[in-house]
Amino acid sequence: MGEVLEFFQSDIIGQFLNPRRRLFWGYLFSALIIAILWLCIIKKKKIRQALRTIFDRSVWLSKSSRADMICFIINRIFMVICRPILITQIFIATALYHTLHLQQIIPLGLFETTPVWLSTLLFTSCFFLLDDFSRFALHLALHKVPSLWEFHKFHHSAETLTPLTVTRTHPVEAILFTLRSAIVQGGTIAIFIFLFGQQLSLFTILGVNVFVVLFHGLGSNLRHSHISVSYPNLIENCLMSPAQHHLHHSSSKKHFDKNFGVALSIWDKMAGTFMNSSRETLEFGIGAETKEYTQTVAHMYLVPIKKVFKNFWKSSRKNRYLFWLSSVAHRKY
Amino acid sequence: MKYLTSGAILVTTFLASASFASDVYGPYPITLKGYNGDATNSVAYSGQVGRQLLHNSLKKAIGNGAPMNELKAYFNGSDLELPLLDPVSSADFKVDVTNINDVSKTNLAGKAYGGVINGWPGAMTGKEVLVSMIERAAQTENGYDAKHGHDYAQLVSKFTMGAVFYHQACDNYLDEKLEADNKPNDKPYKDGAYYTGKEHSWDEGFGYWGAAAHGATLSARQNYDIAKKKDMAAADANGDGVVNLKSEMNYAHSYYASAYDKGGVTDYYNTITKAFIDGRQIITDANGEALSDSARSNLKAKARIICSNWEKVIAESVFKYAGSVYSSLEKLKENPGDEALMRKHAKYWGELAGFSLSLHTSGQNLGELGARIDRLVGFGPVVNGSRVIGVDAGGNYFEMGEANADKEMVHMLKLQKLMVDEFGVTAKNNDKLAGIANISEVLGAGDSAEND
Repeated sequence: MGEVLEFFQSDIIGQFLNPRRRLFWGYLFSALIIAILWLCIIKKKKIRQALRTIFDRSVWLSKSSRADMICFIINRIFMVICRPILITQIFIATALYHTLHLQQIIPLGLFETTPVWLSTLLFTSCFFLLDDFSRFALHLALHKVPSLWEFHKFHHSAETLTPLTVTRTHPVEAILFTLRSAIVQGGTIAIFIFLFGQQLSLFTILGVNVFVVLFHGLGSNLRHSHISVSYPNLIENCLMSPAQHHLHHSSSKKHFDKNFGVALSIWDKMAGTFMNSSRETLEFGIGAETKEYTQTVAHMYLVPIKKVFKNFWKSSRKNRYLFWLSSVAHRKY
Repeated sequence: MKYLTSGAILVTTFLASASFASDVYGPYPITLKGYNGDATNSVAYSGQVGRQLLHNSLKKAIGNGAPMNELKAYFNGSDLELPLLDPVSSADFKVDVTNINDVSKTNLAGKAYGGVINGWPGAMTGKEVLVSMIERAAQTENGYDAKHGHDYAQLVSKFTMGAVFYHQACDNYLDEKLEADNKPNDKPYKDGAYYTGKEHSWDEGFGYWGAAAHGATLSARQNYDIAKKKDMAAADANGDGVVNLKSEMNYAHSYYASAYDKGGVTDYYNTITKAFIDGRQIITDANGEALSDSARSNLKAKARIICSNWEKVIAESVFKYAGSVYSSLEKLKENPGDEALMRKHAKYWGELAGFSLSLHTSGQNLGELGARIDRLVGFGPVVNGSRVIGVDAGGNYFEMGEANADKEMVHMLKLQKLMVDEFGVTAKNNDKLAGIANISEVLGAGDSAEND
């Protein structure tokens, strides 16, 4: 009983109290303020109308949104069970740090005399860029690799978007996200500590990476919402607006495989997957497949696994080794 | 109101003095049944204090370049006068002893660990390792073997603390001597003694720990400064103007505990010292009767607290000096051939090796962990690209010509991680992985079930 209570406090409630997490109450509150300002100032709505729009029952209490809540709990349990066996950033950082000692090209502490403010600025910026790029790259892979797309449909099967949709994630994806984070964090930390020494630091606000606070504090929760906050085109060319992410969730064919980026949209610009936000009304989901994948919560978790294995056995013996990395166009709905 | 205030002051004073008294080791009453002598205090550990002084002096003698017979006298004991070399009186710190034999005519050799030490070349017992180190020290200039990078003052000192003090306390007095049929509490420790078997066994353990009797009433900083001979006021508990080396000085591992505790993260000194005080009270409370099973069980629980924390103090030292060796290697890479740096490197490595070998002397087989520690430390520091890897039948060291400083630095990092993972060290002085841990903590755990 004590363990259940502890899990509830640290892994469920804790998600809303930890400023490192997107669902931190402060970020949800700032998203609410931004949404109100957007609807009142840009969309010229009265405050009551704005609040009615934001707290639209058809969105928050929809079947899709209720599934989000159940998945949130299930996924937290899954992460608690898996946490001890998942590779950590400290493990990767330590292993890489050891390896760097054994190479003879770059000397240890090459930039150790760099002023702390400069090394902190460089580390904070480089980490932000690498982190954002790796999120983009993994997201791209989740769409382009057919076997991964099956799992990512879990997220895209949402027909209404609320901040909790961010946790609508298949466990296979959760493992990939954790690995990505560990590799990027561990790799960056090891390289920077090796080059700049132990005094390396990070710019923070209330003990949290300044970019995390800025990204979430400036409305990251609106990416999964029905409030389509957009930016002027010039800004959207650099920063991904919530409306651009809504377009990424659109079930319309013309929006397929667009806007994979998280904070920055420059990666999409480079990859040719960029699209500015539009004012059209969007429908979310994975089209005809939505029903099959979301029949029950159990279907959401098991259908991707079944499909992946079915497709694997269906493919010819010769092509099986290519199966996992095939880049054949996949969105057929 | 006046009476109320006076009453409150009285109660507060009583409670304060009661709590103060409970934090001092002794005096304890005579409980031995049938004792008719004049003694009023059953506490006795002058033999252990004598060994602490022998150890301090032996280290000093090696550093001073004393000849073999002098070194052996401090190790084996002597019927002649044995001048105390450390601590000696100064203007600011007066001590009450000049001849160790006035405290106790004793030796270190008879109490050294008899098990095999695999972490030192030659497959020798703990005692043989110490003898071998002392003999080699006598052949060097001031205990430093520049060719092999062995600093014998450090090696002998740090390994003596383990092979004699830690070993005797945790593998003997707080181990088998706590059994019901070994040194029972309803009999004198030995014929003619005024203390019981269990009283003296416990006192001996405390003497090896090396803390001042009133140490638990002081701050970590004060205890550290006492060992460094910098705080006469804190040391002189009875105010007689001189530091009584039997009860007012901090020695050996207790000094290292205070050094880590002053960082504010750990409380090894008080945890161990208070466990000794609590354990002694359990024995005193038995009032000269054989200890009941539950009393002995409580006593063993105190012994476990003492020995597990004592082991951590040694592991903290391994951690600290692994960090120091790492730093000196880093500097040596930039300034190869710098003799002063090399001397410092050898000193740090000597401390590291002495402490790491000590981890093997508690009577508990560390198994694979022990082998890993030994291999990471090695038989000697890297000196100009080579290091000792063994000893031939004639007792001569042979070396590996391609020792790699980079690899050695990685070994030190692994050693620090091992001390954290396996021994749970938390003071972590000279942490060479602190940067990784700190930044990782700020970035937060990577486990995430969030889509973007």
